[in-house]
Amino acid sequence: MECSKCGRDAVMHAAYSGAHLCDAHFVESVERRVRRRVREDNLVPRDATPEDPETWVVGLSGGKDSVALTQILHETFEADPRIELVALTIHEGIEGYRDESVDACLELTEDLDIRHEVVSYAEEFGVEMDDVVEDDPEGMAPCAYCGVFRRDLLESYADEFGADKLLTGHNLDDEAQTALMNFLEGDVAQIAKHFDASLGPFDERADGDGAPSREDQEHFVPRAKPLRDVPEKEVALYCHLRDLPAHITECPHASEAYRGEIQQLLHGLEENHPGTRHSILAGYEELAGIVASEYHSDADDSRDEADLGECERCGSTTTRAVCRKCQLLDALDA
Amino acid sequence: MQVTVDVKGEDDVEVDAGADATYADLLSAVDLSPHEVTVLVDGRPVPEDQPVNVDHVTVLRLVKGG
Repeated sequence: MECSKCGRDAVMHAAYSGAHLCDAHFVESVERRVRRRVREDNLVPRDATPEDPETWVVGLSGGKDSVALTQILHETFEADPRIELVALTIHEGIEGYRDESVDACLELTEDLDIRHEVVSYAEEFGVEMDDVVEDDPEGMAPCAYCGVFRRDLLESYADEFGADKLLTGHNLDDEAQTALMNFLEGDVAQIAKHFDASLGPFDERADGDGAPSREDQEHFVPRAKPLRDVPEKEVALYCHLRDLPAHITECPHASEAYRGEIQQLLHGLEENHPGTRHSILAGYEELAGIVASEYHSDADDSRDEADLGECERCGSTTTRAVCRKCQLLDALDA
Repeated sequence: MQVTVDVKGEDDVEVDAGADATYADLLSAVDLSPHEVTVLVDGRPVPEDQPVNVDHVTVLRLVKGG
């Protein structure tokens, strides 16, 4: 089969668009989608200048998604003095898993010559995930603890490194799954929060098209997911074709049963109705923007502000007296 | 035609592929979706909607980014 754009052998078929692409045109297509998303989400603000650049912290796990994102962002902004990239890796303390993926991160960041920081649960919290899984004081899935700890470190170190934005490598499958899960759980407030925290475009009033943009998050480094137009399979293929140092082993504690069920459902739908993931996410983002605007106008701002305070233990922003991370650490006797 | 499907990290499976079978049909026979794997022929990725014309394929499974 020939590439739809040139005569070379195709390496993939995108059923949702009908295209067959060769390696070169496929790689170009992935990169174009990421750059378009960066533009459409207004990630580069008009006031960023070479003298006053933006700092973007990229969450780099060493898996295919964050490796592809880091590589593409680096190539996009290498010659642009308005953007500085910092890669941030979290070591959770998972034997036979994280050491190898940290090696992949080191290899990539040395190749690209970008600043790279590694922080660990062990040094920061005095716990390792392998032990947390054994103790399990709250009777939860491993990912539930790990997610709380990871978000805390990504957030606090992004802040420490002066990040204007925190970028993560969530792909189309990840986001379509989350969208569907939020919808099936009937969690409209969560949908609005998702828009403000990481999905909505940044406000550029000069555009003036009236589309919803996210509300400023005073207390948190804003997050963005510029890889979310690219299906998971294509991210893996991209890494394979470009021979990027992605670490490909499943976390031994992976256990998100509900997400797995949704993933299977989406694979089946995509097979019979190509483009389902794209349309779920496009529709969800539009709805989330409307819902978020509704919440913004309804919100009693003074009350909202009062809900957010500092954790008594660690000082993180939280709606509780003691934040969730500190509660979990207490339960673990850490 | 008998095709050997070598799913990396798992045992090889012999699949009896019909004359018009595509690579997607091979995946379906081993209970995998084209959205979670890449099919390689002689180390080169192939579009899954194409007819099978080899007797051995390698299948790379996707792994969560974590």
